[in-house]
Amino acid sequence: MMLSKKEISILIEIIFAISFAFIFMPYFYENNDNSLVLMDGLIRIVIEILVFTAIYFSVAYSLLEFVYKKRETKDERDDLINSKSYKVGYLLYEFSLFIFIGYVCSKMNFSFILKNLNNEALYENFTLTDAGVVFMILGLLVFISIVKSLYQFYLYRSI
Amino acid sequence: MILKNNLKEVRQKKGFTQEELGKSVDVSRQTIISIEGYRYKPTLELAMKISKKLNLKIEKLFYFEH
Repeated sequence: MMLSKKEISILIEIIFAISFAFIFMPYFYENNDNSLVLMDGLIRIVIEILVFTAIYFSVAYSLLEFVYKKRETKDERDDLINSKSYKVGYLLYEFSLFIFIGYVCSKMNFSFILKNLNNEALYENFTLTDAGVVFMILGLLVFISIVKSLYQFYLYRSI
Repeated sequence: MILKNNLKEVRQKKGFTQEELGKSVDVSRQTIISIEGYRYKPTLELAMKISKKLNLKIEKLFYFEH
């Protein structure tokens, strides 16, 4: 299967999103009951994310330019594919906004009810934390990014 | 009605490669491949550019099949 330069650059984005999910998301998942201020090594992980992103994209795109020396023209077919895939990304973004609001509201409601029932053990589980919100946002962004890029890749192979 | 074209036959008859034709109308080789395979319908502007380049009327190059 011969892939074009554009298709490989989409694969680079997909691999980045999956790597991000496997390398950095566990840290946010483990700490999602904490407050951001109390999270151990938050600054270190933010620096790691920035360094990883910079190195990954520099190396990946340099290699791509080295292997595919020929410049590829961006034309109306690319615009069509981009507009279709970004539309899917935007719809998912809107849908995830509802999920996010639902998540926040349900946590707040349950914690309020459980506090009134004096159920301390369950109350702890339903307390909304800022780290939990960050985890939710990052998770949704990674998911949207992967789906959008996969759809873009599919369109490049099928149109 | 399906929009079809004679692009492949005409291009080959005129001695152009997909790469050369694409370059002359500012699109990639993949776009020419997609048009020839009826997977991509070009805009009017691109269809006119291609027909001009191949020195053929647009309705001779692109046609509807019932």
